Amino acid sequence: MNKLRLIIAREYMSIVGRKSFIFMTLGMPLLFLLIMAVPVGLAYLNDKGSDTQQIAVIDETGRYAAALHSDDMYSFVAIKGDTVTNAREFYNKANGSLDAIIIIPRNVDSTGVVNIFSEGTITPALVSTIRNAITDTIESAHLAEMGIPNIQQMIDNAHVDVDVRSIKWSEEGEQESSTAASMGLGFMLSLIIYMFVLMYGAMIMNSVIEEKTNRIVEVVVSSCRPFQLMLGKIIGVGLVGLTQMAIWIVLLAVVGMVAGSALGIGNVSPEAVSPEALAKAQDLGAMQVIMNQVMSINYLPIICYFLLYFIGGYLLYSSLFAGLGSAVDQPSDSSQFTTPVILIMLIAFYAGMVCMENPTGPTAVWCSIIPFTSPVVMMVRLPFDVPTWQLMLSLALLFSTALAITWLAARIYRRGILHYGQKASFKDLFKWIK
Amino acid sequence: MAYLDINNVVKRYEGHTALDGVSMQVEQGCIYGLLGPNGAGKSTLIRIINRILAADEGTVTLNGKAMTDDDIAHIGYLPEERGLYKKMKVGDHIVYLGRLKGMTKADAVASMHWWLDRFNLKEWENKKVENLSKGMQQKVQFIGTVIHRPPLLIFDEPFSGFDPVNAEQLKAEILALRDQGSTILFSTHNMASVEEVCQQITLLNHSHVVLTGSVDEVKQQHKKNIIAVQTPDTIAANPDLFTLLPPDPVKKADTRIKLAAGVQVRDAINWLNEHYFLTGFSEVLPSMNEIFIETVKSKNVENNE
Repeated sequence: MNKLRLIIAREYMSIVGRKSFIFMTLGMPLLFLLIMAVPVGLAYLNDKGSDTQQIAVIDETGRYAAALHSDDMYSFVAIKGDTVTNAREFYNKANGSLDAIIIIPRNVDSTGVVNIFSEGTITPALVSTIRNAITDTIESAHLAEMGIPNIQQMIDNAHVDVDVRSIKWSEEGEQESSTAASMGLGFMLSLIIYMFVLMYGAMIMNSVIEEKTNRIVEVVVSSCRPFQLMLGKIIGVGLVGLTQMAIWIVLLAVVGMVAGSALGIGNVSPEAVSPEALAKAQDLGAMQVIMNQVMSINYLPIICYFLLYFIGGYLLYSSLFAGLGSAVDQPSDSSQFTTPVILIMLIAFYAGMVCMENPTGPTAVWCSIIPFTSPVVMMVRLPFDVPTWQLMLSLALLFSTALAITWLAARIYRRGILHYGQKASFKDLFKWIK
Repeated sequence: MAYLDINNVVKRYEGHTALDGVSMQVEQGCIYGLLGPNGAGKSTLIRIINRILAADEGTVTLNGKAMTDDDIAHIGYLPEERGLYKKMKVGDHIVYLGRLKGMTKADAVASMHWWLDRFNLKEWENKKVENLSKGMQQKVQFIGTVIHRPPLLIFDEPFSGFDPVNAEQLKAEILALRDQGSTILFSTHNMASVEEVCQQITLLNHSHVVLTGSVDEVKQQHKKNIIAVQTPDTIAANPDLFTLLPPDPVKKADTRIKLAAGVQVRDAINWLNEHYFLTGFSEVLPSMNEIFIETVKSKNVENNE
């Protein structure tokens, strides 16, 4: 036990003490922000940077050209008195100073068709701009033709957007739950497990291979059992993962608190929300409604189950990685063994994506019970109340499989770490297990 | 009973037997050479003693008791394939290895300082291992092996990777440890070092013990009754007593004679002394290297037949 603690401590310190760990831990959230910010920024630059397009509008009705308003991107110029037959000539005469010509035909009210001509490509953004502007104008025109006074206002008054709120009956009374918030949470949790298992699995494998290439491994296993070394490694690296997660949670809490107080929604209480209270909430900001929904999720069991699945999934995959890593001499040789494992993880991830749409479907249920996919898939289902028997069955299977895999991996590891030279094959691995 | 008693050990792998009924007795306080060509089974035997591998049959007893996992605290093992964590600090690394062997932190730190001082590595204590030269890393490795003062030390090819100066220092340390009471098992195919330090040897070949005994005994057993005679005269052969051999390729000045069967050294020398002017003579004992090669080759021939 004492030796195991020593090995865990060494493994932990050897990673946490590295500069790259501090860099990664602080860099990852920044990287995420960057990944989210970059598309927005690029789109902005794209719009901002492009030249204003010159578009001629040939309005045969004479009524709709005014509906197209020029802005930074498009400059609409109405041309009168021309007909369709010389539009091409007109375009050519402009010598490239025109980007497109819109022709609004005389019968547009009945057909609802407008044409754009251009030698270049017509962007989807331009098409939708024109469609929205002309549709609105034609609609208003149709309404006006009916001759009913104030009809536009009547329609506006009659218009409703139905907001479907899901209220869950639970022991604590009625609780508003949000499908979107639950889906988001499920996706986030499954992504975290997926990424951690892959990242830390790879880290363990590299650590195993490094000990082999360093030739330290025989020195160490002459002082402890190979199983202790493998287990110490798995636990040590796992603790690194938990440390990293704790740092991120603290960072997130700090950022959340700062952002929350800045938006003035820091004082929302996560109390049960009755329909009456909801009615009152109407005039609260939309932001607060979302916050209420996010707060209404019952986090305690989710966090507990998350940790259980995290530990089980991590143990399962990291011991697989440790066992496979022990069979190779160089990181470059490892791909033949890791490819199948990564494939299984990918299947789990895709299954998780599918299950987000229908968290109670048969794929979701089966994949959340099968041990290799359950850590990722169950996370997606978790915010949607999974039956207890399914959770228990899934956890029991996960942990018993994880222990079985750890045992098998230990048998491979015991032989693998002393195996140099000739590349091991899957056949060798099976022989070693025997 | 011997300090380390290996009795009829068998180890099988898929397809071949690495050790086939190997027995070996190592007395306390001696330096014991475990010899053999590559693939003879030396490393497997050593790993069994270290409890890295388990024997399929046979027993290993230490100090009269069957070995258990707790006994590895009493062994210091320097494997042939050895290395260190490159990113660890020298001092931390040595302490880690000591504590893995069951030392308390304070003991390990004190012992680490003592050894670093002895090897003039004091100023490297807080440097990372990767910043050390190869020779210094080997010394750190040696310290890591002996830090817990084990009564049984096992060195697998200890001198590989050492330059002659450092090898000499290492040899002196090994002898010093022996003098302090440690028993040392020494695996090598560097026969010169065997003759210098080992008292007893066992030669393994093809998973079997083919030769065992004290270095002197083994040499006596393998002597070919050859005498090197120093004389300015030219000696003629005397078929009753001896035949002449071609001169030694290295010491050309000596005349080498091979005694006829049953002839005592004294008789031959007396006869020579009467007939020639002798300045000196010595019995030529085979080197361990010759015995090694001869034994291994003859056994291989037997095996092939």
